[in-house]
Amino acid sequence: MLLERIFTTDFFFSVLRITAPILFATLGAVIGEKAGISNIGLEGIMMISALFGSLTAYWTGSWATGVLLALLVGVIVALLMGFFSFNLKTDIILTGVAVNMIGSGGTLFLVKVITQATEGSALASTTSLITKNLQVPAVNIPLLKDIPILGDILSGHSVLTYLAFFLVFITWVLLYKTPLGLNIRSVGENPNAAASVGVSVLRVKYIAIGLSGAMAGLGGAYMSMYYAMGWSLDMVAGRGFIALAAQAMGAGEPFGSMVAALIFGLAQALGIKVSSLGADSNLVSPIPYLVTILGLVVFALVGRSRAKQRHSAAALQAAAAK
Amino acid sequence: MNKKQSMLFGLVRGAAAILIALLVTTLLIFICADTPDGASFGAAFSAKLTQTGGALRQLLIGPAFRSNGSISTKNLSDVLASMIPTIFTGLATCVMFSANQFNLGAEGGIMLGAFAGALGAIYLDLPAGILPVVCVLIAAAAVGAMMLIPAVLKAKLGVSEMVNSLMLNYVVMYLIKYLLNTHLADKSKGQVQSYPFQADAAIPQLIDNGSKLSWGFIVALVFVVLTTLFMYRTRWGYAIRMIGINQDFAMYSGMKVGGIVILSQVLGGVLAGMGGGIEMLGRYTAFSWSALPGYGWTGITVAILAGNNPAFVPFAAFFMAYLDKGCNLMSTYSGVPAQLIDIIQALIFLFFAAEQFLSRYRQHLVVRNTQEELAQKAAQAEGSVK
Amino acid sequence: MTEEYVVQMKGITKVYPNGIAANQGVDLNVRKGEIHALMGENGAGKSTLMKMLFGLEQPTSGEIWVNGEKVNLTSPTVAIAKGVGMVHQHFMLVPSLTVAENMVLGMVPKKSGLFIDSGKAIEITKEYAEKFNLHVDPTARVCDIPVGMKQKVEILKALVRGAKILILDEPTAVLTTQETTELFKELMSLKEQGYTIIFISHKLAEIMQITDRMTILRGGRSMGVYETKDESPEKISRLMVGRDVVLKVEKGKAQPGESVLRVRDLEYINEWGKKMLDKVSFDLRQGEILGIAGVEGNGQKELVDMLFHLNTPNAGSVEVNGASVLGQSQRKIREMGVSLVPEDRMLYGIADSGTIEENLISDRCGTKRLNKGPLFDMKAIHNECDQLIEDYTVLCKSGAQQVKMLSGGNIQKVVVAREFSNNPKLIIADQPTRGIDVGATEFIRRKLVELSRSGVAVLLVSADLNEVMELSDSLIVMYGGRISAYFEDTSDLSDEVMGEYMLGLKQQAPEEVGRVCHE
Repeated sequence: MLLERIFTTDFFFSVLRITAPILFATLGAVIGEKAGISNIGLEGIMMISALFGSLTAYWTGSWATGVLLALLVGVIVALLMGFFSFNLKTDIILTGVAVNMIGSGGTLFLVKVITQATEGSALASTTSLITKNLQVPAVNIPLLKDIPILGDILSGHSVLTYLAFFLVFITWVLLYKTPLGLNIRSVGENPNAAASVGVSVLRVKYIAIGLSGAMAGLGGAYMSMYYAMGWSLDMVAGRGFIALAAQAMGAGEPFGSMVAALIFGLAQALGIKVSSLGADSNLVSPIPYLVTILGLVVFALVGRSRAKQRHSAAALQAAAAK
Repeated sequence: MNKKQSMLFGLVRGAAAILIALLVTTLLIFICADTPDGASFGAAFSAKLTQTGGALRQLLIGPAFRSNGSISTKNLSDVLASMIPTIFTGLATCVMFSANQFNLGAEGGIMLGAFAGALGAIYLDLPAGILPVVCVLIAAAAVGAMMLIPAVLKAKLGVSEMVNSLMLNYVVMYLIKYLLNTHLADKSKGQVQSYPFQADAAIPQLIDNGSKLSWGFIVALVFVVLTTLFMYRTRWGYAIRMIGINQDFAMYSGMKVGGIVILSQVLGGVLAGMGGGIEMLGRYTAFSWSALPGYGWTGITVAILAGNNPAFVPFAAFFMAYLDKGCNLMSTYSGVPAQLIDIIQALIFLFFAAEQFLSRYRQHLVVRNTQEELAQKAAQAEGSVK
Repeated sequence: MTEEYVVQMKGITKVYPNGIAANQGVDLNVRKGEIHALMGENGAGKSTLMKMLFGLEQPTSGEIWVNGEKVNLTSPTVAIAKGVGMVHQHFMLVPSLTVAENMVLGMVPKKSGLFIDSGKAIEITKEYAEKFNLHVDPTARVCDIPVGMKQKVEILKALVRGAKILILDEPTAVLTTQETTELFKELMSLKEQGYTIIFISHKLAEIMQITDRMTILRGGRSMGVYETKDESPEKISRLMVGRDVVLKVEKGKAQPGESVLRVRDLEYINEWGKKMLDKVSFDLRQGEILGIAGVEGNGQKELVDMLFHLNTPNAGSVEVNGASVLGQSQRKIREMGVSLVPEDRMLYGIADSGTIEENLISDRCGTKRLNKGPLFDMKAIHNECDQLIEDYTVLCKSGAQQVKMLSGGNIQKVVVAREFSNNPKLIIADQPTRGIDVGATEFIRRKLVELSRSGVAVLLVSADLNEVMELSDSLIVMYGGRISAYFEDTSDLSDEVMGEYMLGLKQQAPEEVGRVCHE
């Protein structure tokens, strides 16, 4: 049976593995969007963090330091985006485009420079630098790993994979259970209202975009230090963009967006699986992107009927925005 | 602020943006420069300085002049040749951004256009003079049709054209790679590429020096004029611009907003597709792109530099092509990687698009202007009293 | 005697950077524990005065004293610290947050040092709700609660931040009758607990019912302070509604022809369930100017939106020369010969970074006379625009100048030039001279008269009594979404009579109002 050959425990294990980096970026998109920031620079931040993470791991010989630095680089790049967008008033989308430019060609430049490219023998990747012992380690979860099927699917993932899913919960707590989250949501929805009670809109926006960058940074670390062994050109391959779509489909909520990210993960895992069974990988690779477009359309159609109910809320917002 | 001051301000701002980018570039080159082993600090520093100077010379002057000071026609024609695709993606982005449509699909568009043009060049059985023209038209139509997807979804359902166009870029790339690897692959070649184009399909060259400066360059310039005319001299281009400024105003004035939103993106697609087709037939003899070429993103930079005005696109495209060539020369002669161009590009881009960048200077101009006007009025009033 | 007053504003003058003097030497003295009305027409300077008391604006000159202490209110935070709270007309609430979360925003109670103590937030909300008898549901999301409750949340927000002096900016504008009654009960109870309330309104009946004293503003100046119980509504109406300078416009007698615009039984209920238009019916004939007078917010805006199909009514019909307007695109409506000078010129009227020419041709860019084949006939466009610029005396360097660089009056002239010049059969002029200089105002008024005398039907919607009474041949007064009066002839109308209908003191019988339907 074909279905049995596809839907193995390995397959579901790979869904989680593939979803994790998208999920990191999705959470970044969720936090950004809650504060009213469309961060299309997630893609570029992931590339930059992936590079610096893998290099740091190589230099220090510690994967944990690499992950931390990737996170830090993500935050720094995001804050710079914030400076251009909030202070110099560059359109946030254009700021994102610029970060993505640096993320693609700029990183290659840095790789060549940093890996001390001598006379044309420049490295175009850091794949040779990340060895097995520098990879983010996988952990077997006691008890869980002994459960049949479920154990095979859920146990044995990397620390970062578990972190991604755990961060969904953390993001939810942050947004809905902490004063900062309350401020982020109010700044995103009605900055005037927030400002009128003494909340510093600019500060909250910087914090939100910084957190968003931190998430993308972790996603980058995952890409170069677990998903692949080292950085290579265009390795993020639109995951940062897919994250924006996942955010939209999940209506901006952490758990809903996680489900959307899982759908993309599933689509991609399916693609890989099908191609391993003989189908052309180039034919199945576009599936997640097509699913994204389809998902957005379905979401828009559902949103339309819901919009009618929410009409009054929107009107109020519009009035308040004036 | 009057028009002269506006222009002055624009000029100063542009120059400042470029200057900052070049400063950062210099710094990066300086950091990249090698140091001789075991050299003292002073010696290392001066070695780095010399290297930086040499690299900068390649970057800034190399594309135009040989080392002996004479003009380098080969390098210059290389620069002009590499403007062809970015003029088209720049024009496409101008049209779409003018309507406030953040469609980022020019990247996938130019690849699809190149591919569609290539298909025509391989398979169509047409007379010599007509074949390339038809191929380019097919390329334009294919990408125009592709842009219908984000455009219609935006106009009818309000789905973000930005995300959809980004997704389409990937879909297009993989599907082309699929076709290239399977049905179209010329198995007799060592690398992945299509069957060769018919010789008649090639767009003739302007100069036969290997620069690949084809008649496509002239076509590109013609389309600069046509697009400028369209945007500033026709009712549709006018509607596109008005929707970009104030959609409610356009609706209230009786324009069909949804239709114009679609038109702007389809037109962007047509331009990008045309650029792809022309680039393919003017430069190559078989299709072998296995990844997105990056012209779409450069096109966005070009449009931003041109202030979304098609008439300025060739200048912006020249500027970018010149820098690109400079970076290539620099990497050949001094070991600074050519991808420095992406960092320069991003920096110029960021400062150019920054509304508040140098806003104090603008404020200064405005205040001075207002004061002058007030003084004038006062003088007039005094005069009338007398 | 200073202790008697909790708020003293002395000789307040406010001049905005654009040169408009919103307040000139205004005094305001509010006693502790009273409900003090701040009255005046739109643009009388009420909001500006209150913005200064709440720290949103700073006076150009004058002093503000709160609780006998001279204060410098540089921001709302400072004003709140001095015990001044404000309930804005457009609520400052975050829709997706709960009532309790909105209450504590910016001063969130925490538990374990990290998390929102939502129990505490709800407790605080409940405590204040009980104490002041303002019943709200702390756990409901703000977007789900009715507008009356939203207002209570706003009042509670001010109270929980320690406000003793509450400014309410036209609080009843968005409320239904029942909600208004409830609000008044609550305000009375606040007053009994020693709170001071400044109540901004132009609704006479409400003022008479609830306030102790009132300060009346007109044209940025104070018209004096009065004890509410001593004054008659008629006198207040005279003080509030009145024309300082009567601009005379020469116009011959109208010779109305056929009906151009026919509106029947128009009804509209807004998103908050408030009935904004209630069985509005009228006819507008060729060659006449029909004025629609009324204090703003009585359905005029909604009516205009329906006439140009910027919004859809719940019931009723709108016909222009026998063809229905409802469901038509703006292009079709324009093809019917309808022009609109919109109330908010920056929102609909212009594309601000476009040139003057681009703004003049937006409604006619597809016409034959301006096009040569697929291209614009630039010469024809220049000619037409230069002519318009000259005819409408738009002060500019050339037609290629950006519209946003012009003054308000000249921007409005651009809008008017476009709307008046495409052979309209019906012109809807919504507040055509709001906020613009005297010269432009007079010019636009003369143009309106000129056009109507040449046979165009003109619907003039204006909150400016002077304008609507001087220009109109006949006149409708709107109050509470209904036509409260129709005057066939405006020449012998007095300000007093108008004021009484505008403020809802009087209402004509249905037969009298019905005369506006010329069937």
